[in-house]
Amino acid sequence: MLFKYEFLKIIKRKSTIIIFLLGLLMTTVFFSLPVIQYQAFTQEGMITGFEGISYNKNSQLELAGLLTEEVITDIILEYQQLFEDPSNVGYDGRDEFLIGDAYWEFVVPRTKFLRMVMNNYSPPDIILTVDRLREVDLSHGAQFYETRSNKIETLVQNPERELSVSQQDFWLEKNSQVETSFEYGFSEGWDVILSATELLLFGILLVCIILAPVFAGEYQSGADAIILSSKYGKTKVIVAKILAALVFGLLAFSLYVIMACSIPLLAFGVEGWNLPIQITNTVIPYPLTFLQATVINFLVIYIVLIGLISLTLLVSAKMKSPYFVLMIMVPLFFIPLFLQPDGTTGFYNLLIYLLPYRATMSTFSQFITYQVGGIVLDAFMARVLLYGLMSIITLPLARYVFKKHQVSA
Amino acid sequence: MQISIQNLSKEYSKKTAVKNTNLELTPGIYGLLGANGAGKSTLMRMLCGILKPTTGRIKFNDKDIETLGEQYYEHIGYMPQDFGFYPDFTARDFMMYMAAVKGLDKKTSKSRIEELLTMVNLQEMAGKKIKSFSGGMKQRLGIAQAELNSPSILVLDEPTAGLDPKERIRFRNLISDFSKDRIIILSTHIVSDIAYIADTILMMKQGDIILQSPIEKATEAIKGKVWEVVVDIRELDTYTKVFTVANLQHENNKVRLRLIHETPPSATAIAVESTLEDLFLYYFGEIELNGSVEDVV
Repeated sequence: MLFKYEFLKIIKRKSTIIIFLLGLLMTTVFFSLPVIQYQAFTQEGMITGFEGISYNKNSQLELAGLLTEEVITDIILEYQQLFEDPSNVGYDGRDEFLIGDAYWEFVVPRTKFLRMVMNNYSPPDIILTVDRLREVDLSHGAQFYETRSNKIETLVQNPERELSVSQQDFWLEKNSQVETSFEYGFSEGWDVILSATELLLFGILLVCIILAPVFAGEYQSGADAIILSSKYGKTKVIVAKILAALVFGLLAFSLYVIMACSIPLLAFGVEGWNLPIQITNTVIPYPLTFLQATVINFLVIYIVLIGLISLTLLVSAKMKSPYFVLMIMVPLFFIPLFLQPDGTTGFYNLLIYLLPYRATMSTFSQFITYQVGGIVLDAFMARVLLYGLMSIITLPLARYVFKKHQVSA
Repeated sequence: MQISIQNLSKEYSKKTAVKNTNLELTPGIYGLLGANGAGKSTLMRMLCGILKPTTGRIKFNDKDIETLGEQYYEHIGYMPQDFGFYPDFTARDFMMYMAAVKGLDKKTSKSRIEELLTMVNLQEMAGKKIKSFSGGMKQRLGIAQAELNSPSILVLDEPTAGLDPKERIRFRNLISDFSKDRIIILSTHIVSDIAYIADTILMMKQGDIILQSPIEKATEAIKGKVWEVVVDIRELDTYTKVFTVANLQHENNKVRLRLIHETPPSATAIAVESTLEDLFLYYFGEIELNGSVEDVV
């Protein structure tokens, strides 16, 4: 009963409906943009929207299959051989590149694939253009997977990263579980979701704004007086408030997540769910498919959400008005948007990957490493630990603060 | 049943709201009278266990209310000032919520809510949102929620504020209906409310209880201090500056004044019977009444 009415209190406020719908609209717009702005290029011109998606999908599906050393060697070789015909080669005074039919018929339909292959051969933290595939030595075959392993080793052993031996082992052990050869295919829908998860931060912020009055609203309206002077006002009511806030937050956010996932998946298709995420970036050391990576990323985001809801409830229990709650919570969401990683392993860099904005990012390829005692954690586990602890600490505190609240003029 | 208030004080950083108060409350209606800022609400909040005293204690049947916790709160019905929470709830939803907060089971709640909404004449508005209610309707809903758990201690803070005369009469009748075997504490700065329904008057000034008296004996404190005098209209200014004027009535070129003063204000003054309004004026003086004579009496 109490839960039901606490939940009704939240959803019956006009502001709740307006803010929730605003969040839904924002999520729809954010996750529709990659579809609306999608472009495919042909010799005849640019194709946009669903037509472009369909064109690129067909092109990439032609490359679908197991990426064995032989397959990769053949494609790189084919690319290199195109340069042997001078009519295919353009020169801008510095670099040579493919032009004409060679470009339009070979490179363009395979752009995404060729970029992935080229990145595998690029030195760590540097992105080279596809033209440099010409320089890949094929005398012993492509050695694609060996190059990949070496690149990951170089990445984790880079002295600038300052990773300890146990931290390096952590990543190498994780990477050793990645199965090769990779299965290639069309995975655009999942790519879009994974590359834009941080946009869900606005959904979390709006949920927290909606929940700001859970306790503070009672103080502001004066209803704290009748609640706290009633039998269950200092006990069951508080539990019901916290549960209602969490359930509302999870439900509302889930609708944002459903919207965020369904738009790209409806537009691009669900194909690719079972493909390894390494086909977007070969240095990713996680042995995961797109679906698994998406689920893990969202589970972490849900823990971040619960942590931030819990913090909002504590601030709400402490402040006399929901406006004061927002004055504390909104900057907590917005300031991290302007903080840039400095590329080191220092405290600042590690911290900003835990703050709300970057805590919602999928950082599968970034080797962000934390250590708690003898335990090495990646960014996802560190976020789970931090925001999980945040909930465990702040929820009982919120309960205590409301219970001890003094009703004064 | 007894509430014992012992050496109770509440101090804020800049002022003392309640000063070393001692009271024994047994079943009956207590009218807590005082001007704004006298400490009435603070005292009531401490009585309801929602504001911690700086010093002193409150005992319910010889047990400290702080240690009683839920066992004390289930005896409390409280209606704070400016009632009108949850504007998007219907009256029935609000009552169902409050019934749950007060620990009533669902079945009991439904029948009790219908009974109370009928009693406060809101049964036809039960399905309407509180934001559409008039001030009087909100006050009636406030008393209904306070009464949900049939509390043995009913604390009503300025329950008649903002009510029109008809609603005030209805409200007084309601309180009288509820009063049997209970402690009802009713704060107001409207003297006539107390005159009609209270058994005992508690008068508060600047945090002190300055008078505790059965209602019928309350005016004894000013017996022989209320005078009626007819003066020339030209003398009116002098009289109003020197004496506390309870009433004035123009009669041609003369003015009939009702004055409160320790001694006869003139040789022609006649001692008259004192009322609660006179008592209020005696204690609070004209300063308290500036611009609010009608509010107060």
